[in-house]
Amino acid sequence: MSSDDNRATSSVDAGLATGIGTDTPDGEPLVRVENLQKYFWENDSLLDRLLGDEPVAVQAVDGVSFEIREGETLGLVGESGCGKSTTGETLLRLQEPTDGRVEFAGTNVYEMEGSDLTAFRREAQVVFQDPFSSLDPRMTIGDIVQQPLDIHDVGADEERRERVRDLLERVGLSVDQLDRYPHEFSGGQRQRIGIARALALEPEFLVLDEPTSALDVSVQAQVLNLLEDLQAEFDLTYLLISHDLSVIRHICDRVAVMYLGEIVEIGPVEELFEDPKHPYTKALLESVPRATTDERERDRETLAGDVPSPRDPPSGCRFRTRCPMVIPPEDLDIDQDTYRELMTVRERIESRDISLETVGDDDQFTVEDGSVPEADIPAFVAALKRRLFDEPLPPHHDEIVETALTELAASNWEDAAAILRTEYESVCERDHPGLGNNTHSVACHLYGTAADFEGAVDPNSWRG
Amino acid sequence: MIPDRLESNLRQGFRESLLPKLGLVLLASILIMAIFAPVLATHNPTRTGYLDENGNSYPPLGTSYTTEIGQDGEFVEVEVESTSDHLLGTNDIGQDVFSRLVYGARTSMLVGLLGTGLAVLIGVPFGLVSGYYGGRVDDVMMRIADTMLAFPSLVLALALIGVFGSAGFGIPDPLTRFGLIDGMPESTTLPGTVTVVVALVTWVWFARVARGEAMSVRNEEYVTAARSMGASNWTILFKHVLPNSLTPVIVLATIQVAAVILLESSLSFLGFSGTTLSWGYDISRGQGYQRTSWWISMVPGLGIVFAVIAVNLLGDWLRDALDPNIEGEGGGA
Repeated sequence: MSSDDNRATSSVDAGLATGIGTDTPDGEPLVRVENLQKYFWENDSLLDRLLGDEPVAVQAVDGVSFEIREGETLGLVGESGCGKSTTGETLLRLQEPTDGRVEFAGTNVYEMEGSDLTAFRREAQVVFQDPFSSLDPRMTIGDIVQQPLDIHDVGADEERRERVRDLLERVGLSVDQLDRYPHEFSGGQRQRIGIARALALEPEFLVLDEPTSALDVSVQAQVLNLLEDLQAEFDLTYLLISHDLSVIRHICDRVAVMYLGEIVEIGPVEELFEDPKHPYTKALLESVPRATTDERERDRETLAGDVPSPRDPPSGCRFRTRCPMVIPPEDLDIDQDTYRELMTVRERIESRDISLETVGDDDQFTVEDGSVPEADIPAFVAALKRRLFDEPLPPHHDEIVETALTELAASNWEDAAAILRTEYESVCERDHPGLGNNTHSVACHLYGTAADFEGAVDPNSWRG
Repeated sequence: MIPDRLESNLRQGFRESLLPKLGLVLLASILIMAIFAPVLATHNPTRTGYLDENGNSYPPLGTSYTTEIGQDGEFVEVEVESTSDHLLGTNDIGQDVFSRLVYGARTSMLVGLLGTGLAVLIGVPFGLVSGYYGGRVDDVMMRIADTMLAFPSLVLALALIGVFGSAGFGIPDPLTRFGLIDGMPESTTLPGTVTVVVALVTWVWFARVARGEAMSVRNEEYVTAARSMGASNWTILFKHVLPNSLTPVIVLATIQVAAVILLESSLSFLGFSGTTLSWGYDISRGQGYQRTSWWISMVPGLGIVFAVIAVNLLGDWLRDALDPNIEGEGGGA
């Protein structure tokens, strides 16, 4: 892509043109996020405490670290609810973090006070996803764009108005619309107003929180191009939060992929798109429809199951409950599909997500006090197994599963889960994979020491 | 600054239904009565002694009644005819009922509007702060509000008047002060304690409505945007949260005017008002004469009924116009 090459050079230029506004030493990142955590607490009201309910932590962002260099665009991509917007808001100190630190031009954002904080509020701005709720419906466009200038008391009245007119023209709006209200504009125009407002204080750094996902496709391209032009013109550094991979690929220099509050892979955009390493990244890229005719034949691998709840994230690797490449124990002779199926069944037993009453044909088994009569157990186990597994299991595993399901016939959920756990425990659930510190890093056991285990799957064997 | 959508909805409601028109006409007449009371009143409302030769009060124009007067132990039947001098008759101590109706509108409107205004001034900032800050602040502030709500408003009002006493103070009337009209009271008594007390017992409703609005507005992205620019909490409260919370407050205020008028009437009926020129007080005056001199309490009673109906009709009209379910184009708020 030639446009990508151009952009790459322009961002290098922007990176060289340091020293405007902030005193970032060469090579130092503008924004450095270290182990950022943001938990939201549920059941934390006065009443809940009186009733003795324990507060529940929703681990929206859990230990995220990355750097953004001056002049570059870092993309943050992931499914809805993975914590990417929370990361953006927390690093701007719009939410208080639970733990971790964020450095902006070398200073810890959460320890800023007084004039430091005021300066930070000038240098770092945000563009929101929803152009309908990000503009106050009771303020005119002129007042909205002028608001940051008013708050920071920049220049005299006439200068401010002049600046507002310049900004509106720069983002492609007409100056005689100054006195109109937001509802008189289209989504794309409103997003331009939001961008003009974010630029009013000549910031260094912009968080773009899904800036185009509420817009029509044709308007999306216009807004993205505007953002790119502005970046070149004003030496801006962007953090682009999006779930749209084509947007990320179009505009970003580097990408971080988030899953359930953690970064699972980070790397240069082309490298990550051409050679994704983490199974989640692969699945994410797989899910993008491509407009070619050989697509009809493509076997699109969709992920099994739902995103687990951030209230109680899986142990070890958070993606293991859906991962098509979970690593089996080293002494186990089993193929990946069977292992995945076994792990899913175990998952369901652990969360008690199997209805025992409906096993077999109509009222074939009576479940009294949670257990099936002694005589029916073999038939019950067979029926349950047929329902849970598509294919017959290899003999050795068949035996283990039957023992476990027999426990289930007496509603011994814990025991059933324990049997499967001892037999099939994966390194993916024992150990939390760390994200390396390379240009292209991935948090997955397939690429760490775990890859040396016997039985580990060759990551490239999976259909990509 | 009225949003276009609201304006078009208001017009539509006015066009399509008779009730807003009726409410507007009623309220306008009551307000005109209140403002131009010295011009409209036929007699000084506080002057007593407009009685016939036997000491009987006059009935409203076009009616007559029979009364019995004990004199030296014997009863005499007396037929009392109405006089065109006193359109709605006179009361037991010979005050002109029509003039008292006109002046009573003043008291009701003053207390209704000022009391509600004061309740808005107390309740709205309270609710906005509570809803905007949330958390512990909200817990504490709303428990205070709930405690206020737990008392029946009339009982609370009586208790407060018991504490503060019932004072009234005179507001000079320009029409009589500058000699434009003769023979009318030179000032109108504003029942000060009652005004404050009705505000103290009704502000909670405004606090609750404002809190709910603030809670939803504070999650709007334009509030987050303002914070990211470095706006202080007070700037956000004043520039964003307040303007965007006002519409339901306005509807509530309209309806609360009616409630306050009723509360003021109840208080003055019970004799705690601080002024004797009030519809509620006049109703209590006529209480003993219901069988024969019905107009003494009936006339001020109708005054209250029409005032409350007028205000409620306007409140309904406003509420319907602000209902998002019938919104026209524009969207937004």
